[in-house]
Amino acid sequence: MIIKRFGAGIILAFMILFLLSGMFLLSFAGGTFNMEAAVLGIIFAVFIIVQYNVLKGIFKHLERFSLLIADFLCIISIVILYRIDPEVAQKQLIWILIGNVCMVIAMLVIKKSHDFGKLNWVFMILAVGMLGMTLIFASRVGGAKNWINIGPFSFQPSEFAKILFLIVTAYFLSSRDRKRDMWPYFVFTIACVGLLVLSRDLGAALLFAGTFLIVFYVGTGSVGITLGATAAFAGGAFLSYKMFDHVKTRVEVWQDPWATYNDKGYQIVQGLLAIASGGLLGTGLGLGMPEVIPVGTSDYIFAAIAEEFGIIVAIGIIALYLVFIIRGILIAMDARTKFDKLLVFGATAMLSLQSFIIIGGVIKLIPLTGITMPFVSSGGSSMLSAMMQLGIIEGVALKNGEYEEAELEEMGGGVA
Amino acid sequence: MKKKPNLKKNMRVMLGVFCCLFVLLGSYLLYSTVAYGDQWFTTPYNPRISASKNIENAGTIYDRNGIPLAYTENGERKYAESEDMRRAVSHTVGDIYGKSLGAETLFAKYLYGYDQNVVDKFNSVQSGQKGGDVYLTIDAELCEYIYDHMNADPGAVVLMNYETGEILASVSKPTFDPYTAKEDTEESGAKFVNRVTQGLYPPGSTMKILTAAAALENGVTDLEVDCTGEAIIEGQKVTCTSQHGHVDFATAFEKSCNIYFGQLAVELGDNAMLETANKFGYNYNFQFPDFTLYNSQFNVSGNKGDLAWAGIGQYEDLVTPMHNMMISAGVANGGVIMQPNTLKDVRYGGSSSFRYTPSEFRTIMPQNIAAQITEYMRNTVDHGTATSADIGNVTVCGKTGTAEYVEDGEVKNHSWFVGFVEDAAHPLAIAVIGEGAGFGSRYATPLAGEILAHAIEMGY
Repeated sequence: MIIKRFGAGIILAFMILFLLSGMFLLSFAGGTFNMEAAVLGIIFAVFIIVQYNVLKGIFKHLERFSLLIADFLCIISIVILYRIDPEVAQKQLIWILIGNVCMVIAMLVIKKSHDFGKLNWVFMILAVGMLGMTLIFASRVGGAKNWINIGPFSFQPSEFAKILFLIVTAYFLSSRDRKRDMWPYFVFTIACVGLLVLSRDLGAALLFAGTFLIVFYVGTGSVGITLGATAAFAGGAFLSYKMFDHVKTRVEVWQDPWATYNDKGYQIVQGLLAIASGGLLGTGLGLGMPEVIPVGTSDYIFAAIAEEFGIIVAIGIIALYLVFIIRGILIAMDARTKFDKLLVFGATAMLSLQSFIIIGGVIKLIPLTGITMPFVSSGGSSMLSAMMQLGIIEGVALKNGEYEEAELEEMGGGVA
Repeated sequence: MKKKPNLKKNMRVMLGVFCCLFVLLGSYLLYSTVAYGDQWFTTPYNPRISASKNIENAGTIYDRNGIPLAYTENGERKYAESEDMRRAVSHTVGDIYGKSLGAETLFAKYLYGYDQNVVDKFNSVQSGQKGGDVYLTIDAELCEYIYDHMNADPGAVVLMNYETGEILASVSKPTFDPYTAKEDTEESGAKFVNRVTQGLYPPGSTMKILTAAAALENGVTDLEVDCTGEAIIEGQKVTCTSQHGHVDFATAFEKSCNIYFGQLAVELGDNAMLETANKFGYNYNFQFPDFTLYNSQFNVSGNKGDLAWAGIGQYEDLVTPMHNMMISAGVANGGVIMQPNTLKDVRYGGSSSFRYTPSEFRTIMPQNIAAQITEYMRNTVDHGTATSADIGNVTVCGKTGTAEYVEDGEVKNHSWFVGFVEDAAHPLAIAVIGEGAGFGSRYATPLAGEILAHAIEMGY
């Protein structure tokens, strides 16, 4: 216990050091001192110190490592975004602050709630409604229709549908013993995935389908149905490969991006060039050219990070996601109700699948599907959604802690 | 009674899966950067190189005899003095704006010194260190001669030493002047396209080299045909330029009889033809270190009429002048194509850091078949369709080609000649094409003879 606390403190100190040195480096990058970068860095540093200590103070059973990893990913995000486009970084900082509020709300809601009962039907209608609305009203960005503009604000409904999807998933898999009673949930999943495919948001479709398969397997333990459903999704994927040219293009470009480096393969080639240009140790912050990478602040931010911080840091980020996953799954295992277990597991699985899909796409391990990198990519919807998922994990962690404490008291023991 | 699912166990399984996935992610990233990082970084498409291109420090591009073709003087990029020479080599040398794919772009890593040490790649530029001097294999004077004698525009000529693979001349028209490349728009006849490596044409009768090789390899040479100028092969009409009468394998090649070779291809069948075509490098993804060569195409449909046309270089057959030249070079070199190259030498401050060593690219036919086809190609120049390539004192072997295409509803002909000099002292292979220039024997063949004679005069 002591070592854990001590460790977390040291990690926090390193993170702050990283943030401040990064931002101060950027403030000197132009030759003259740029106050804005330094101020932004200091504000964010203060915020993180306060956030961590306040949350730790209020919530005795806070899961520190998951929070710190999310914070560190946000720090990297702010530094690299400021490097590419200061304006985007400022917006991102605001989204991180709002995201933290969402996280705390999610924590408290999850801590107090049981399994939302009949509300799940509302959630289902809401999620399908949001995705359907996207299909009808959304504007097309980068080949996918996933943005809705309301006045000056634009948001991606699929990001919020994710949260609802996770809750509904946990509800049905925990409250119904027989699979045939889960049919509304199956219909719901197919509707979500189908609407996403029709909106051409392939990344999100893959994410929903993948999360469904993983959580369904864990919740029911039925290997047969999981494999069957996997085959069905694979068949659907193959069908869409045959039917839609944009899917075919994705696969062709993945096989040989260099053949069409000038148009279709441009993004992948530019990403690979950025990674190769950085090499093992990176060009150093401010010395690369990540601004030439298409959507370098969003989907392709991993390439920008690899270029300037090097492969070492890039692999470090992959490792951080892995630690995050391990912590999340440990909390899921610890949870007392089946609903809580599956909710936390689902949130963790979704975040990890999402980071795998986008990082794998950028480094050309798998075909590229546009999706954001959790906690790192710029964008409000994505940040809020990731923060809410973190809130879900933290909320259940709090419950676990309280149960554990109660049990220890019952046994007459406990820690001083 | 149904068993309750064991959530913890299932989660542990998934945890294992995730661990594997993320370890794979990290290892693949590390592997691909270590294995391909340098190659990726130095591709001409990397804007980081062109952005940090400091013309002041760029090395000089010379031809094989030390004639400077692009050099920096007073912070400006200068080119050969004669405009004809500048234009003749413009596709090979390239431009500094990245409009064409020439040495300025392809060898930027040497010219700006990036190849020395990838870790120091940016430092070398910042410290003002001068890049390397690049020596090309081409002879600029020979290119200028070709440029001046090429009447067909658009058109292309490529000349290679078939024993070493050195490209001695490569000219593509229309061309551009590097001094005005910045303002030039692409619209005017795609002048930035290097037709030698990027122009895909139906090979026409030059394809008969391939069909003949397939026949020899499969032992199908006893076919005899009465040519009446046209014939219906499997429902498709195939026409000949004249009535060749009774022809056997050898005379059909010399006279370039379409009826004979169309039927021969049908007799060989889809698989045998496709196999030989693939062996020749059709449908192959060329990845040469020195230049980008577009891939040639040979398809079969299962329809025998299509196969007859494919056997005489029509249907969906497509080839670049470079690849077609390489095939005749392979015949000349006993069935082995040497790897074509345009980079001869790179020198940093006088000391050579790269020197080309000839290497084999691929074997397209056994030596005895190469000798057989050489004989047919020799006869073609001696008393067949390519007599105008006969230059007297050396033996020229060749094959003409007239490739039909339709433009604006009008049937036109690309004029082809591919061939080589059968002489160990003058190992020259050549391909000439004139777009829409008519019969192969009219334009391409005499021009090829002229160029070969001049090259030999120059000592090649």
